[in-house]
Amino acid sequence: MTETTQAPIEPSGAVQLDPVLDAMVESMIVIDEQGLIERINKATTDMFGYTTEELVGQSIGLLMTGPDKSHHVDYLERYRKTGKKRIIGKGREVQAQRKDGTKFPADIAVGEVRSGKLIRFVGLIRDLTEHRQVEEQALRQREEMVNVSRLSMMGEMAAAMAHELNQPLTAIANYAAASIRLLKQNKDSHEDILGALEEIVSQTHRAGEVIRRTRNFTKSGEAINEGTSLKKIAAQIRSLAELDTKANNIRLNWNILDDLPPINVNSVQIQQVILNLIRNAVDAMQDTPPDKRIITVRAKLTAPQQIRLEVRDEGSGVSENAAKDIFNTFFTTKTTGMGMGLAICRTIVRTHGGELGFHNNNRYTSSEGATFFFTIPTQVNR
Amino acid sequence: MSVEKSRVFIVDDDDAVRDSLCLLFKTVDIEAIGFESGDKFLLEFDADWQGCIILDIRMPGTSGLEVQKLLSERDCTLPIIFITGHGDVPMAVEAMQLGAFDFIQKPFRDQELMDRVAEALSSNEENKEEVLQKRHVTERYATLTPRETEVMQCVVKGQANKVIALDLEVSQRTVEIHRARVMEKMAARSLAALVRMSLLLEN
Ligand SMILES: Nc1ncnc2c1ncn2[C@@H]1O[C@H](COP(=O)(O)OP(=O)(O)O)[C@@H](O)[C@H]1O
Ligand SMILES: [Mg+2]
Repeated sequence: MTETTQAPIEPSGAVQLDPVLDAMVESMIVIDEQGLIERINKATTDMFGYTTEELVGQSIGLLMTGPDKSHHVDYLERYRKTGKKRIIGKGREVQAQRKDGTKFPADIAVGEVRSGKLIRFVGLIRDLTEHRQVEEQALRQREEMVNVSRLSMMGEMAAAMAHELNQPLTAIANYAAASIRLLKQNKDSHEDILGALEEIVSQTHRAGEVIRRTRNFTKSGEAINEGTSLKKIAAQIRSLAELDTKANNIRLNWNILDDLPPINVNSVQIQQVILNLIRNAVDAMQDTPPDKRIITVRAKLTAPQQIRLEVRDEGSGVSENAAKDIFNTFFTTKTTGMGMGLAICRTIVRTHGGELGFHNNNRYTSSEGATFFFTIPTQVNR
Repeated sequence: MSVEKSRVFIVDDDDAVRDSLCLLFKTVDIEAIGFESGDKFLLEFDADWQGCIILDIRMPGTSGLEVQKLLSERDCTLPIIFITGHGDVPMAVEAMQLGAFDFIQKPFRDQELMDRVAEALSSNEENKEEVLQKRHVTERYATLTPRETEVMQCVVKGQANKVIALDLEVSQRTVEIHRARVMEKMAARSLAALVRMSLLLEN
């Protein structure tokens, strides 16, 4: 069979096969044992830009590029000799090439057709270009969201940092002003001036320390950090979180076990999740009385291969009404909220193979605050 | 009322800020005392204290605003100057509505703070006068007989002796005698002075 002309009408009256094959969106190619093309459907000519005549009798390698060009023929060769299936029966992604030389990603699934002694292979090829574009766009969008939220969070952190910097700056200004006054008065105030100058030096270092703590966070990081420790990642943002909690009169308890197994994560993203959860907890405690203003960050092993980190607050809790929506993008109950935090956190945690969730501290009332948590799989030994 | 001397009470949890403020006041010979928390201050607070309070608006534990509320519940009349950070303006506004004397944003110029403190101290001084005066007037008022009290109430309303006599059903002469006694006991040199005293008593 060399062309896609008439197929005999089945005596049973079943549908003719060729119109069906030609109606398929996927390219279908039948090749012989040597990998030479025997028959193609219409989608194939559309997809690759060759005519049927140009393709039939050619090696299947003609439609591929790069290493895939020769491999397919090799696979068939090997299969014939050893009976070892490499791609038969499985799907595989390849770089395909059109007649005009343009390349595109394609998915190819090959099946075996035996009729008597004769072996043929039938390949179904799907153009992945569009699929890839959608995927890439989604990825870009997510990265953008992550960036936006990191920026907005950094804005909030910057405000907290400004507050923290104000303390040493105020002290320095006071000490300096006092020294000037003392010097002008020309009295014997040597000791006071000396003390003030020493304080100025140490307050300057204090200010430097605030800046140093925040600098780590602003460094962007894209890569996955292999075999890192959650304790370490969390510790890097602890002082940043404390800026936030302290500015809101909240005590921050920190309890992350020492002996947690290593994890493979994008550290910056996981830090962002933790900071976001703390930020929300802070927001939720605006009306909490001073003696109950406590946030607890805790992490432990909850399964042999799973770490769980939780952020517990004593805030407003999550109302039954809000509960079903809080992970949706743009859902917020705050006047100045963006409603992106939890949606982004969930995306980040899920790309790491974990899950993000929450529960109210008291099952029967939201008034005792909430606990938000996420899980992260530990590094699996391969 | 004991005569306490004016001092500046500094309530700030930040050691360096508190200490540097104390030093600053020392250079202008104003006595300053630091308190590291609102609770410590409330614990030691004495209604006889004179001067003014410098209060950090953000502190762990009892916040500046809460300290202000608790102080006013304890009839503290010391003027309060709040120290606020960059983003605390809404809180500062709330504090002003609750009767704070002023607020000043960190970091500030020393002269600016000194000027505000000077104003606060003189406001406290005036306030102190008024309080003292009120106390004296109240004491004197208490020595009036019931009839004299009645007469004084009519007099400060501006009623003539004749009208008062009719009202109280006594002779005009009797009213004149009571009235003279009231002026004497209240140490009022004029009718205007007596009216001012009655206003003080009303507050
Ligand atoms: N710790 C918490 N306690 C109570 N409610 C919370 C908490 N965290 C989040 N929420 C609820 O979820 C909503 C969405 O949170 P998020 O996605 O971070 O957006 P945003 O913080 O901008 O509102 C919040 O507006 C709030 O109603
Ligand atoms: Mg949020």
